[in-house]
Amino acid sequence: MIAILPTLAEPQSFSLSEKLLFAALAMASVYSFWNLFGRILNKILQSKKDSSFRLFPITKRIWDFFWEVLCQAKVVRERPLPGLAHAFVFWAFCAFALVTLNHCAVAFGIGFLNPAGEFARLYFYVAAAFAFACAAGILGLFVRRFLVRPKWLGEQLSYQSGVIALLIFVLMATYLAAFFVTDAGPDARILWWVHTLTLLTFLPLIPHTKHLHLVLSPATVFLSRGGFAQIPPLAGDEDFGLVAGADLTQLVSLQAYYCVECGRCTEHCPAANTGKLLNPKEIILGVRAYLNNLGPASDQPLLGKYNSQEAVFQCTTCGACEFQCPVGIEHVPILVGLRRGAVNTGAWEDEHGGKLFLALERGSNALGLSPAERDKFIEKQALPIFDGTQEYCLWLGCMGGYDPKGREIVTAFARVMKFLGTSYGVLRKEKCTGDPVRRLGNDLLFQQLAEANLETLAQNKVKKIVTICPHCVRTIQEDWKEYGAPPQVEHHSEFMARYVDKLPKQPSEEKVVFHDPCYLGRYRNVYDEPRKVAALAGDLVEAPRNKERSFCCGAGGGLAFLGEEDGERVSHKRAAELVATGAQTIAAACPFCNTMFRDALAATGESAPQLLDIAQLTARGLPE
Amino acid sequence: MKIIVAIKQVPERDAQVRINAAGKWIEEVDLQYALNESDAYALEEALQLKEKHGGEVTVVSAGPERVGQTIREALAKGADRAIYVASNDLGSRDALGVARLLAAAIQPENPDLILTGLQSEDLGLGQTGVILAEVLGLPHASLILHVEKTETGLTVKRELEEGWFQTIELPTPAVLTIQSGGNKLRYATLMGIKRAKIKEVRQVTASDLGVDVPPVVLMEGVTMPHKQKSTQMLGGSPKEAAAALVEKLKFEVRVL
Repeated sequence: MIAILPTLAEPQSFSLSEKLLFAALAMASVYSFWNLFGRILNKILQSKKDSSFRLFPITKRIWDFFWEVLCQAKVVRERPLPGLAHAFVFWAFCAFALVTLNHCAVAFGIGFLNPAGEFARLYFYVAAAFAFACAAGILGLFVRRFLVRPKWLGEQLSYQSGVIALLIFVLMATYLAAFFVTDAGPDARILWWVHTLTLLTFLPLIPHTKHLHLVLSPATVFLSRGGFAQIPPLAGDEDFGLVAGADLTQLVSLQAYYCVECGRCTEHCPAANTGKLLNPKEIILGVRAYLNNLGPASDQPLLGKYNSQEAVFQCTTCGACEFQCPVGIEHVPILVGLRRGAVNTGAWEDEHGGKLFLALERGSNALGLSPAERDKFIEKQALPIFDGTQEYCLWLGCMGGYDPKGREIVTAFARVMKFLGTSYGVLRKEKCTGDPVRRLGNDLLFQQLAEANLETLAQNKVKKIVTICPHCVRTIQEDWKEYGAPPQVEHHSEFMARYVDKLPKQPSEEKVVFHDPCYLGRYRNVYDEPRKVAALAGDLVEAPRNKERSFCCGAGGGLAFLGEEDGERVSHKRAAELVATGAQTIAAACPFCNTMFRDALAATGESAPQLLDIAQLTARGLPE
Repeated sequence: MKIIVAIKQVPERDAQVRINAAGKWIEEVDLQYALNESDAYALEEALQLKEKHGGEVTVVSAGPERVGQTIREALAKGADRAIYVASNDLGSRDALGVARLLAAAIQPENPDLILTGLQSEDLGLGQTGVILAEVLGLPHASLILHVEKTETGLTVKRELEEGWFQTIELPTPAVLTIQSGGNKLRYATLMGIKRAKIKEVRQVTASDLGVDVPPVVLMEGVTMPHKQKSTQMLGGSPKEAAAALVEKLKFEVRVL
């Protein structure tokens, strides 16, 4: 069968001058590639070492490499059509590695794939299939970029991308055309030369354009910091976060260089979507521009010419950018790193931020209220005090202890625990976990709060914590680790989901839409548990953006305390989406989301759906 | 400009105070301490003057060892150095005794300006700063919200009652007691704390300073405030009740 099909034509012999010309051009191309790529590599290697980086456990890295690089899983999943087009281009490049090596070797008469041989013929056919898919894919991507023009790719058309697309198309076309000519004719030689020249033009263009990701991103997916939105510990007495170039670590520099400028981060960013200055893609490119112009040893501030302080402090740390990034850029640690640099050195001046810091320097909670208020609430609700005999410590958090709506959630959850017969108690004294100051970059205050709380918990011999606030959960479990071993902690959705069979199902046809809080979903990977609980109260419907793609309420990253935002309010945009589902009830699972939506719904008018925490929804079905 | 700021460490505002066994002071075990609020504003004013005119800011504080933490906080916020007057019997000294201690520590420094908070959050006497000025023989002004340096001395803004202010001029050196709220306080930073570690804290004792005067005012005892609720129900129609409420707010509570 194979024998009757044409095979790949290749020129049979090359003259000496052809050989010399090819060798000279190849050397020039490689030299030109290395000239710039070597400089970039140097900048990355000269950056500060990531002292907290650990290569092990390596199995997860290998899996991520297989799944995200080789299978292109994230690229395809989050943007199916362009993702698939990209995957075809990528797979074709992989398949072409051998083809291209052979193609070059042919010039010197040392080709190792014999077009007449069985293996080579089969391989060339497979490569041809990929080449066809690649040509179609790159054509599709070209149409998308230059005709459809999604705004996430930036306002300016990237002509470089057009040139690269053309080169890739020519590479594939010349390869495929070689199946339709014979070895002997001049056509084979022309095709060979066109293919070769295209290849040699393509190579030096790589480090000049975002196509640098071809070389770098496989390495970086493998070398990610691990974990999601993980804030690395400061290293030593002179580390205050990302202040100047000298503070950029190798991972940050690497990430800055391998950004593919696809704009997925910006497409999903709540700040960028509500008319704010922040554009996560531009933050990464700002770091790249800094490295290009000043290098990794510079003492020029990172915030100023290349990135704006204002933009950096508009981030809600919702992590949508980091989750979406197909090449594993860790935006949150970079944004928080830049904030740390500004706050730890006192360069950030903000009326609301300063107030929050002073409230927590002198007091115990982010709301700046007297702890007597918390005592009164505990007394009024007759919440049991934790004395070491109960199973759970019910952590109130600032919202649960001081905010009227947060208190309603705590009260409802306490009823659920009582109904289930779970023993619990609350602490007499509790300080803010430090979530808002951690995300705003105030390491001094965060350390003080974490240490004070760890001490209180140790004194009280707390083994298990349950709380209504996903921010508390995250901060206790992940961020406190720097200062001690925190007790086991879980969110009330996880707790209630375990007992969902014992909790009453309400006979109701009420449509309920669940909003995924960022710190429960993307940060903790908990999606099904709160849904199971919310489903007790009615029929679940989904918002268009849900689970991993949930859109922030606008409160995270300390922004709940920073006063009025510029542009459209993030909470209004999200609330409108939730209202549009037609649900009678919005189920929340975070007291911050709750307070943001309460204000946003009040602005939408009379017909607004009711807003309840999943604990309140559950408590509604309990016998009086 | 050489500025001295006298600061005091007081129980944290949120602290739950109990009276000690002797009934003469509060139980200090388990208490958290912080920088007295108006002293924080005095420090802020000093730091802003230094930033504008150059010079040096030195903090001075008296008390037991725990005061060291508050001194470091002041150094972290930007003070250049500190004088720590070690004294375990501060509680048995009256305002005059404390002022004499501070004066003896400050005198050899020859400052251009001495700032301190209007009053402390624990004792609330409001006297120490004023007596300090007397002991040092310097002019003083109290309830100051803002200080400006002039060719010849200072122009300061004083707070009076009911939203009135007074602007007065003083020669230097002078002592000013600062009212809370005149500035925005800066937050403590990690860099500040790290830098504070290498700043000088000179320790002196009462006997080094040669100050040993018996108190003229003695603390007889402290008591918790008595809680009392007196709820008055205003009857009649809503209109009559509202009128009665306005009457009471105007003439009894005097908030309108």
